[in-house]
Amino acid sequence: MTYIAPLPKEAIADPELRGLMAEAEALGVPDDLFPRILARAPEQAVPLMRALIMSHAQGNVDHRLKEIMRILLARFANDKYFASLRSAKARAMGLTEQRIDEGCFAYEDDAKGFSAAEKCALRYADLMFLDANQLDKSFYDEMKRYWSEAQIMELGAFIAFHYGMQMFMRSLGAVPLA
Amino acid sequence: MSVNPDAVDAAFFDELRRHYSDDEIVELGAFIGFNLGYHTFFGTLKFYPLFLPDGRLVSQAESEKFYGAAPVSLGKAEAAE
Repeated sequence: MTYIAPLPKEAIADPELRGLMAEAEALGVPDDLFPRILARAPEQAVPLMRALIMSHAQGNVDHRLKEIMRILLARFANDKYFASLRSAKARAMGLTEQRIDEGCFAYEDDAKGFSAAEKCALRYADLMFLDANQLDKSFYDEMKRYWSEAQIMELGAFIAFHYGMQMFMRSLGAVPLA
Repeated sequence: MSVNPDAVDAAFFDELRRHYSDDEIVELGAFIGFNLGYHTFFGTLKFYPLFLPDGRLVSQAESEKFYGAAPVSLGKAEAAE
């Protein structure tokens, strides 16, 4: 039970929010709990839900990589809610639990087969809230060897937003509905 | 939430409820989460405001001198005007 009770699903009348909830249900991230809590702040619920889904499932970076990054961040945030959810889209693209664990805990190990670009992106997520001072000019220079500036902004904004929402859900003591 | 998230527990929420409704607590929590994430990200990008408190448009180098590693308090800047 979260510290703040979610609204009943039937109490959410906003068609835009309900549409986003259906989109999220198909994706698997987030489940209904997150929007039902957010719906208590209706002015924020739609833009935050849209940003969460869009930054995760759209854009110009491989969704499987972003799914690994999202779970890495949720585990670091100690957020049981988002850490337990899985993207059906990433699974359909072939992402396995083993690959997720390798990406979270052993991505620097050459034997795991992550590309230099993937390692750099995973390091970006790893360091952002562990030691942001390491994300300096030389780090961004290395990122630019593999990613366009647009992709770096996509990744950075994705990391920042998802981690923030994960810390929010952690603070509420949230766990997945299923 | 940022410095010691374990301290945001049931007792803390009980205290919050003495001052805020559940709806307001969600608004605050989402706002804090959003800012917690983005300000860390923005900090790594080393960009600074386009304008000084007096309204002058300045270069990033000039802005960094003002808002950078040892930022001048906006209150002090206003008092000096």
